[in-house]
Amino acid sequence: MTINRQKSKEEVIEALHGVASEMHDKMSKGNPPTMTLPVRSKTNISFDKKLGVYKYGKSKTIRDASVLGSARQLLRALHISEFVEGMISDGKTSTLREMYYISESWGNGKFSTQNESNNLAEDLEIVTKCLREDFGLRPEEDGARIIGNITFEERNRRGDWMRINCRDDVGDSGYGVPYNVEVEKLKLIDEDIDFVMAIETGGMFDRLVENGFDEEARCALIHLKGQPARSTRRIMRRMSEEWNKPILVFTDCDPWSFRIFASIAYGAIKTAHISEYLATKEATYLGITADDILAYDLPSDELTKQDLGALQAELSDPRFSTGWWQEQINLMQEIGKKAEQQSLAKYGLDFVTDTYLPEKLSALGLNY
Amino acid sequence: MDPAEKLASKQKQVSISEFFEKNKHFLGFDSLKRSIITAVKESVDNSLDACEESRILPEIRVEIQRLKDDRIRLITQDNGPGIPRDDIENVFGKFLLGSRFHAIRQTRGQQGIGITGVVMYSQLTTGSKTHVTSKIGKESSAVLVELGIDTRRNKATKSGERREVWIDEITDQPVSHGLRIETEMKAKYQKGRQSVHQYLRMTSIVNPHASISLVVKDKDGSTIDHGSWARTTEKLPRIVSEIKPHPHGIHFGNLQRMLKDSQERKMTSFLRHNFSGVSLRAAKELLSAAEIDEGRSPKRISSQEAQEMVSSFHKVKLLPPPTDCLSPIEDLLIKKGLSKAIDSSFASTITRNPKVSQGNPFQIEVGLVFGGDLSSEGHIEILRFANRVPLMYQQGGCLLTKALEAVDWKRYGLDQPGGKGIPKGPAAILIHLASTNVQFTSEAKEAVADNSEVFEEIRLAMLEVGRGLKSHLKKSSQKKKAKEKFELVNIILPEIATKASNILSRDEPDLAPVITKIMNSVFLEEEISWDKERKLAICEVTVYNYTARARAYTILVKWPEMEGTAITDNVLGGRKETKGLWAWRLDTLNPGVSNTIQFAVTGLERGEWTDCEVFFRGNGEIIGASRIDEKLLEEIRKSEALEAAEEQSTNESEPPLHDLMSRAQTITHEPPKQIDSDGQTRLNSWTDNSMEADQ
Repeated sequence: MTINRQKSKEEVIEALHGVASEMHDKMSKGNPPTMTLPVRSKTNISFDKKLGVYKYGKSKTIRDASVLGSARQLLRALHISEFVEGMISDGKTSTLREMYYISESWGNGKFSTQNESNNLAEDLEIVTKCLREDFGLRPEEDGARIIGNITFEERNRRGDWMRINCRDDVGDSGYGVPYNVEVEKLKLIDEDIDFVMAIETGGMFDRLVENGFDEEARCALIHLKGQPARSTRRIMRRMSEEWNKPILVFTDCDPWSFRIFASIAYGAIKTAHISEYLATKEATYLGITADDILAYDLPSDELTKQDLGALQAELSDPRFSTGWWQEQINLMQEIGKKAEQQSLAKYGLDFVTDTYLPEKLSALGLNY
Repeated sequence: MDPAEKLASKQKQVSISEFFEKNKHFLGFDSLKRSIITAVKESVDNSLDACEESRILPEIRVEIQRLKDDRIRLITQDNGPGIPRDDIENVFGKFLLGSRFHAIRQTRGQQGIGITGVVMYSQLTTGSKTHVTSKIGKESSAVLVELGIDTRRNKATKSGERREVWIDEITDQPVSHGLRIETEMKAKYQKGRQSVHQYLRMTSIVNPHASISLVVKDKDGSTIDHGSWARTTEKLPRIVSEIKPHPHGIHFGNLQRMLKDSQERKMTSFLRHNFSGVSLRAAKELLSAAEIDEGRSPKRISSQEAQEMVSSFHKVKLLPPPTDCLSPIEDLLIKKGLSKAIDSSFASTITRNPKVSQGNPFQIEVGLVFGGDLSSEGHIEILRFANRVPLMYQQGGCLLTKALEAVDWKRYGLDQPGGKGIPKGPAAILIHLASTNVQFTSEAKEAVADNSEVFEEIRLAMLEVGRGLKSHLKKSSQKKKAKEKFELVNIILPEIATKASNILSRDEPDLAPVITKIMNSVFLEEEISWDKERKLAICEVTVYNYTARARAYTILVKWPEMEGTAITDNVLGGRKETKGLWAWRLDTLNPGVSNTIQFAVTGLERGEWTDCEVFFRGNGEIIGASRIDEKLLEEIRKSEALEAAEEQSTNESEPPLHDLMSRAQTITHEPPKQIDSDGQTRLNSWTDNSMEADQ
C-alpha cells in the first residue's frame, strides 16, 4: 500500500478554510459558531479491518461557542489557521512551542498552556485531514536514535540529499531521526539487516550498542525515548513497509510500556486520525513479559495503585482485547509485580545479549 | 511589737507574695511569654473601661522595648479621664480587693487581680517601680509618681511625686487628659497566635470605637513588630445599667450571705428589693412555697429555711431578668471591626436577641468574613470574646469553639473534612458572648464552660451567618457565570466573526441573533463603589435584555435606610417601596438593550455597605436578581403602617427583610427557551396595581 498523503499548499489552505467556513456559515444563519470533531477517547476508537489499525469511530463532538471555554477554542483555532496559512505562503515552519509563544500576541486567542496549543493543532489535523507536517508545525520532542547497517538519504538544510549509513557514518549516539520523515525529506535506500528492534530505555539501547548486538544479530536498533514521537513511529512504519522487516519492541514490563507498544502497533488514541500513517501492525512485543519475570526470576517492584489502575483500564481498551494481552495483563495483576529492562543485569552485563535476547528471538523463529 | 503580732504580720507578708507565686497561672503571669500579654491586657482593659465610662473615644498606644536579660519595658498610654492624684494609690493598689459583689452587669472584668498584678510582677521580677503619669481634665499639669507594692501592708506605695506639664512625645501637643504607665518586667516578646499583637488586633475588632497602636522595639532600637488599628466608628458602646441578681442564678451560699447582709426587715421586701424579676405577688408565692412567714426578718432565716427558699425559686413562675444590662457590639459595628483588622470580600454578622440562662442574661453575636486576603490553606481563624475581652488560650476546650464545630459547614460552602470540627477555607469567625455572668472552665478565664442554652444560641447564630455565606457564594458563582457570558458575546464572539470573515474574505455576519440565541436571558449586574471625596456609596444596577422580546420590569434595591442615611443622585427617581427598599420601573427594555439605574447613599462610612440585594417584579426571570415575595412585602407594609400609627418612630429596628430575602425565590439559569408561542412582544402597563398583574 502506498501512502499518498502529499497535499498541495492550496489543498491545505482550502482545508483550513473549511474550519472558518463552518463557523461563518453558522453565524450567518444566526447560530453560534461550531467546530465538529470526533470524540478523542478510548471509547471512540475501533479496529479498522481495511487498514489493520485502530481509528476514531463515528462519535462526534460539536464544540459550540455558547460557552466561554469553547468560544475561546474556536477563536484560537482561527488564529492557528491564519498563522499556518501565513507560514505556508512564506514557506516557513515553526515548532509547536514557537507557535505557543507567538500566540502571546493573539490577545483573547492566546493559549494558556502549551498543552492547549498542541491539542488544538491536533484538532485541526483531524478536522482538516491534513498532517501537522502539512501545516509546517514541528514537534518539540526529538526523534529516535538509530544504529545499524541501514542507509538513508536525508535532504539537508541546503536542499541537498545526503547519504547516511547508520552504522558507518554515525557516532555512538546513532542517527537522529528528523521530525519530518516523509519522502520529500527522507528516503530509505538500502539495508543489510534481518529485523528492527525498538528499545524503550536509553540504558538498554546503549548496552546493546556497546555489546555490538546490531552487528552480531544483524539488526537495526532504535531508541524510542519513552513514548515514541510521531516521526519515530512513522519511520518504523516505513521500514516495515518498504523493507518488509520484522519490527520487535523491547520494553520494561509495566502497564505504561504496554501502552508504548500499543501506540506503535495499533495506533495511539490521541493520533487515531492518522493511525494508518503511524501504526505498524506487524510489530511484535518481544519483552519483557510477565512470564519473563517468573521464568528468569527477575528483580521486580510491587505494582503501585496507579499501575493497577492503568492495568485495569487496559483490560477495557480495545487495543488490548486480544487473548495474549488479556493473559499477560491478568498474569501481571496476579503476581502484582513489574520489572525494568535493566533488571536483566542481575545475571551480568552480557546476559541480555548472550542469553535473554537469543532465547526470545529464537522463540520467534529468528536465530542468529 | 508583741511577738504574736510580729508573727502575724510576717505571715501576711509571706502569704501575699506566696499568693502571687501560687496563683500566677491564673493571674496570667505563669510564663515569660504570657506575662507581657497579661500586662498589656490589664492596662488596655482599664483604659477601655475608663474611656467608656467617661464617654471618651479611646486612643491607646502600646510600646514595648526589649532590654537585656529577658527584661522588657512596657509603656501604655491612653487619652482617658486620668486618675485624680489621691486615687492613684487606690487604683494601683487595690490588691485582693473584691469587686462589687451584688451589682450585676456586663463588665470587661478583671483578669486575675488587675493592674495591681502588673505593678507587683514588675517589682518581684526586676525590683523596679512602675512610673505613672496621670492628667485629669480640670488640672493644668499632670502628676508623676513611682509606684511599688508594700507587701507588708498590702497596699501601694508612692514615691518621687512631682507635677509637670505633659507634652505628648509623638504629637508634641499638651495632653489634656490621659494616663501613661511605664514599667519594667521579666518577659519575652513573641509573635504569633498568642501574642500582644494578636491580643490588640482582637481587641480592636470588638472595640471599633477605639484607635489602638503597637510598636515593639528590639534592644538596638529597631522596630520588630508594629500594628495600628484606627477607629471605624464614633459610636461608643452604650452605658449598661446594673441589675440585681435573678433568683434562678442564686446558689445557697449567695443567698445566705445576702440574708445576713440584708437591711430589710421583712422577707417580702428583701426578696423584692434584692432580686430582679420578683414582684410582690411572686415574693409572696415564693415564701409560701418555702413555708416561711412573710414578716420574718431575713437575718433570722435558718440555713434549713434558706435551702427551702432556693428550691422555691424554681417552683414559682418569675419574670425574666431585664436584658438592658448587656452591651452587645451590634452587628454593623462587628462588621466594621472585622473590616479594619481583616481584608475580606464578604462579611455576615448577627446579633441575637438577649436570652436568659439560669437567671443570667446573655447575648450571642457572631461575625463571619470570607475571601479577600484570608488564606484558603488550613483551618479558619476563630476569634473568641467574652464581654469584649479576647480569649486567646484553650481554644479547644471552649464552649464557643465546640458550638462552632457542631455546625455542618459543608452545607454553607466551607470545607469541613470528616463533616465535623473546625472548618477549613478562607474565612474567620468571630464569636462574642456578652453576659452578666460568664462561666469559665477555670480561674484562668480563657475557655467558656459548657452551657446548653448558650451553645444553642451560638449554633443558631452560626446557621444564620452560614446562610449569608451560602447565598453570597451562590451569588458570586452566578455573577461569574454572567460575567463569562458577557465576555463571550461582547469580546470573543465578535473576534471570531471578524477573524473568520477575514480568513474567508467574506462579509461579517450580523451577530445580534447569535447573541440572543446564546444568552436568551435578562441579566442584571450590580456594583457598589465608594466615592472617597464625596463620602458616598454609589450603587449601579444594570439590566441587559438579551432575549428576542422587549421586557418591562420594576427593579427593587435594598439599601441601608436608617437614621442619617439618604438616597441622592438618583437620576431615574423611582419611589420608596417600603423602608429600606427603593423601586424603579424600567418601562421598555428592547432586545439587545441595557439600562442602568444609578444612585448614591449619603451618611454611610466606607465598608458599611458593600453587598446589595436586588429584587424584581415583572414577566420572565432575571439572572442576578430574585423575584420579590409580594405577600411578605405586604406583611412588612402592614406592620410598618401599624408602627406609624402607634407613633413608635423611635424604634429603629429594621423590617424583616432578612425573611424577604430568604423567602424570595432564587432564579437559576434555565436552558434556552423559545420565544413565546404567540411570538408577541408583551409589555406590562405599570400601574400601582401591577403587583397583582405580575404573577
